[in-house]
Amino acid sequence: MPRVLMGLKKILADKQTWVGLGLIFGLSLVGGLVSHPGLVRRFLAGEFRQAFILKEDFPQVVFVSLPEAEAAWSERQAVFIDSRSLEAYHRGHIPGAISVPLEDVKSGREDLLAVIPEAVEIIIYCEGGDCQASLNLARWLESRGFKNLRVFSGGWAEWTQAGLPVEANAAK
Amino acid sequence: MLQNRKLLIIFRLIVGGVFIWAGISKIADPLSFAQNVRSYQLVGPALSFLTAIFLPWVELIAGVWLILGIYPKSSALLISCLLLFFIVLVLITMARGLDVDCGCFGTFSRRADWRLIAEDSLWLALSLALLFSPANDFSLFRKKLSKT
Repeated sequence: MPRVLMGLKKILADKQTWVGLGLIFGLSLVGGLVSHPGLVRRFLAGEFRQAFILKEDFPQVVFVSLPEAEAAWSERQAVFIDSRSLEAYHRGHIPGAISVPLEDVKSGREDLLAVIPEAVEIIIYCEGGDCQASLNLARWLESRGFKNLRVFSGGWAEWTQAGLPVEANAAK
Repeated sequence: MLQNRKLLIIFRLIVGGVFIWAGISKIADPLSFAQNVRSYQLVGPALSFLTAIFLPWVELIAGVWLILGIYPKSSALLISCLLLFFIVLVLITMARGLDVDCGCFGTFSRRADWRLIAEDSLWLALSLALLFSPANDFSLFRKKLSKT
């Protein structure tokens, strides 16, 4: 072990090591900027703040806020999909929501998608905060031909914090 | 310290090859990788995007340089640090109970789990062997950092 530490010390003390690292980082920065100038421009213009998807690739996926989700729920204009685990769904969910856990769909349970009606607006949510399950499920659904997909990124956390109705232990 | 030069060259090809593949597959689809980075729920959108633009190139260049022997100690050191970081990251992610795609090889990514940790540990062992070995055959820059 002391020999290894000595060796590491020697490597770190060598100026060439740091020159090499600097070159790798510098070239990587140039490579990244040169290989994707369009994406960098779009990012600087404010795109990809909600999700890293190209709007043209996922035209059916739209993000909705809490008031929009609440309005759609109270007017029964949309089907709500809970993309969290079944356990989380049983602990509590938006009333009327259907459980379609992303992890189960990814593990091959595509039969779960059969319960989703195709003709209406579909609002998908997950835990909230930085959770990505709702968006990833929306992408999955779009690739399988579903339309009118809405991602409620505030999710379960925002819904409960707003004191809106919840339902627990209900059947799917 | 490992002295078998043929073995060290094979290690270079394996570790360098893995990093080249990892880099190229992510450069091909930076947005998917940015989404993977975001899924770890550790950094915000801006840092996720920067990582997705920058990191794949670091992997690619470090992999190529490791094989070609351009600043071999720098690339071996960088690759070792990256692998150590990936292992810690997956451990933290598992401890937090998050189910995420590792983002390791673009569309060929899979779940961040124990198998991934085992695989990364193997690459780490190989790259540490390279970092601390004196042999530096077929290097474009034959700088001797030997006798460590």
